[in-house]
Amino acid sequence: MAFIKKQPEKVIEQCERKRERNCASFELQLSDPNPTARRWAARDLADCLDSSAALVAQLLREQNSSVREIILTTLTKLGDEVAVAGLVNCLRSEDAALRNEAIEAMKMLPDEVAPIMSQLLQDTDSDVRIFAVNVLESLQHEQVEEWLNEVIEHDAHVNVCATAVDLLGEVGTSYSWEALENLKARFPDEPYISFASDLALKRIRGS
Amino acid sequence: MKRILIVDDAATMRMYYRSILEGAGYQVDEAINGIEAMEKSLQEFFDLYIVDVNMPKQDGYSFLSELRSRDISQNPAMMISTEASANDRMRALVSGANLYLVKPIKPDQLLTNCRLLLGEVHE
Repeated sequence: MAFIKKQPEKVIEQCERKRERNCASFELQLSDPNPTARRWAARDLADCLDSSAALVAQLLREQNSSVREIILTTLTKLGDEVAVAGLVNCLRSEDAALRNEAIEAMKMLPDEVAPIMSQLLQDTDSDVRIFAVNVLESLQHEQVEEWLNEVIEHDAHVNVCATAVDLLGEVGTSYSWEALENLKARFPDEPYISFASDLALKRIRGS
Repeated sequence: MKRILIVDDAATMRMYYRSILEGAGYQVDEAINGIEAMEKSLQEFFDLYIVDVNMPKQDGYSFLSELRSRDISQNPAMMISTEASANDRMRALVSGANLYLVKPIKPDQLLTNCRLLLGEVHE
């Protein structure tokens, strides 16, 4: 049987990269068949202020995880409205890896995500609301506990509340006490809600 | 004693499963994502895996696919998620799950399905 020699990924030399170095060519190179070229283009686009749309479009079709990683890094650097909207759109993806990558990227943009958080927490899709709570997990923002309280007091979906109460077990203070008690009363037949609420209350009492 | 690995990024959820399973006499270990679960699976034997879908670093689908394709373990795996669509269920089964459950999970539901997958009871 003949051996099939695997073709190594073509190395893009520095001089080759310097041939065309402007925003339009970087956007074109985002769809280059060579992943190394796409990685470089995604990195270089961090200096191009209007490139979020092209990056988001590529992110949705990109199969190479290392290229996706660079695209997400660049989108968090740009952090404009288009970038944030693109990341939100990824929360609706069927691709679990892409969803998780978008959640991690959104955590890096507290000031940019904060204005749309209330809207995300009221999305008609309960999965999107759960992912929005996941974003709150390490979002360094003063309103995190307030948003979580809104969820456990008003969201009708038990899994959204369960995700929020998980997080309140880590970040909750006495401010959340009443909301946690009310949550238990709202879902009296859900053992997990009782378990997680009691755990959060115990932690708050001990702190 | 049968050994069960819980793979979930939510600490409270892992504690909930652990309290139920240890109460029923199982030995339990935990991993916070697919990468940690893979490291543990390479070093230790587990009779059953309980795997969440959405986790940072490596999601449940990728973990199970790798576990099966690298033949690290063919022991039963139960995938538990908040997502209830037929597509999610199909994807879990294709990845290598033997059972797909939608949250919230009640203690008796968890134990019944664990016993079923471990061959301790029959349908």
